[in-house]
Amino acid sequence: MAVFELPDWAALAPALILVATALALFVIDSINPHTKNRSLLAGTTAVGSLAALGVAVWFMVAGVGTPTAAGGRGVVELFGGQLVVDQMALFFMTVVSVVTALVAVASYDYMGDHAYQAEYYSLMMLAATGMATMAAANSLVTIFIALELASLPSYALVSILKDNRGSVEGGLKYFLIGALSSAIFVYGISLVYGATGHLQLEAIADNLQGAGEYGGLLGLGILMLIGGFAFKTASVPFHFWAPDAYEGAPAPVAAFLSSASKAAGFVIAFRVFTTAFPLEPTTAVIGVDWTLAFIILAIVTMTLGNFAAATQDNVKRMLAYSSIGHAGYALIGLAGLSADGGEIVMGAAMMHLLVYGFMNTGAFLFVALAEYWGVGRTFEDYNGLSNQAPVACFALGIFMFSLAGIPPLGGFWSKYFLFTGAIQAATANSAMLIVAAALVVNSAISLYYYARLVKAVWIEDPVSGRDTLAQPTGLYAAIIFAAVLTVVALPVFGPIADAALEAATVAIS
Amino acid sequence: MNVPIEYFVLLSMALFSIGLFGILTRRNALMFLMSVEIMVNAANINLIAFALYHGNLTGQVFALFVMALAAAEVAIGLGIILVLYRNFRDVDVTVPTTMRW
Repeated sequence: MAVFELPDWAALAPALILVATALALFVIDSINPHTKNRSLLAGTTAVGSLAALGVAVWFMVAGVGTPTAAGGRGVVELFGGQLVVDQMALFFMTVVSVVTALVAVASYDYMGDHAYQAEYYSLMMLAATGMATMAAANSLVTIFIALELASLPSYALVSILKDNRGSVEGGLKYFLIGALSSAIFVYGISLVYGATGHLQLEAIADNLQGAGEYGGLLGLGILMLIGGFAFKTASVPFHFWAPDAYEGAPAPVAAFLSSASKAAGFVIAFRVFTTAFPLEPTTAVIGVDWTLAFIILAIVTMTLGNFAAATQDNVKRMLAYSSIGHAGYALIGLAGLSADGGEIVMGAAMMHLLVYGFMNTGAFLFVALAEYWGVGRTFEDYNGLSNQAPVACFALGIFMFSLAGIPPLGGFWSKYFLFTGAIQAATANSAMLIVAAALVVNSAISLYYYARLVKAVWIEDPVSGRDTLAQPTGLYAAIIFAAVLTVVALPVFGPIADAALEAATVAIS
Repeated sequence: MNVPIEYFVLLSMALFSIGLFGILTRRNALMFLMSVEIMVNAANINLIAFALYHGNLTGQVFALFVMALAAAEVAIGLGIILVLYRNFRDVDVTVPTTMRW
């Protein structure tokens, strides 16, 4: 069909485009070190991430990463299986690049008077590169390196407002917990290596049987790996950095971390646990079914996130806790895996992460807009904003109801798939019924605090008089685009669901 | 090699626990950073000992990567601790408490 065949390494194009954009930003910065040309810098970032998005979608449609037997072009393995480009990798590269593009456009206004423009955008592209590489990493070595490549720029991004105490404090807390969890993660890797003698994921799976006498080491190693994933996805027990880091960070950075970084954390968890630790042989060696850990984590994470969110007065902090709650929903994707299936829950978790990427980024960008206006941070400060900014507040309503899972918005459908998947998984593991019940109860609770924000902007009267509010082009464009994506996710939900389910099937088999 | 592998694992676990103890008890951000380094180096001991035990070089090569990444992490960490000192006039991690839930 094709006139010429692209070389294998071209399958990594989305990640390569992201890193090339980061280097281009460095070149711009070295030619003109103090440039404040925001259009050039934000434009380069946005074009680069949109190009990565386009290529990732094109590859998905063209069948890269689908097994040849299913009519695709085959899963591409690179560097001796250290990196692998399959449907799941492309799916998450799509999520990362679309969030990066939205955040870059929004940062044009939000970071308008910041002294270090080029540094900000290049750090963001480097973090995006790390996240895209995490999607393709297929060995504990590449996973760890990609994870650090995503984390290190993120620490700097959170604390980039150097004279703002909140930003520095958030960055410090994020860094300290991140450093601790990456130390635990690398120690877990060393234990898994000790038990199996390999770091490449398929090789680990092949050598699980030989690890029989080191079952304890392997089990401890897996537990420590879960710690590393929990940090990256902001789930219990390493969730407590999230509220502080998101509240202190510039709001576009909080949007970036809570959507793209969380999705990237989930893709490595999905890949490690489906490829390296298949359920039956692993249970035989360590004596415990690892889905049990994820069942507990999913229930605790979603309950803690939602209850804490319901008690907040600060909007950004409420969104931070709701982001922890959504990590709990996505964890169902791992909790519901069973020896003979689980494509539906994992596919549903991937859909949820994609839709969440739009609606959560949009919600944080609305907070960015409110911070840009300087209206304040609590629910009361948001009262009556719809009088001055109806369009943005309408978009906010879409984000909130989609996050809460109100039909017919995208957030409802991904939760619906998660629920049906969990019910189906309950035939193999009855504990999944509790998870499904927790999902429903928590969604109901979440409606309270999401609706509270919508009520504040649309129904309440402002506490004090307010001047007319500016309409920053970049922020408005990003918010409206995110809202359109959240709504458009509805008619195209069929193809999205197919793509996610197919990707999950390829990853599990 | 005459030393059984168990001793290496015990050594690395002892180092890891020392690091973890340091993180839980120290209030100085720099001491915190050093404790994290001890934990990472405990993992390196494991990796290198197991590389010898299994007879492949994967672990040794990965240990080199881990050292490089740990250095990069410290560089970022020192930068953040520097701005912390500029803003709070202290490197005590219990001082910055403007945000609480």
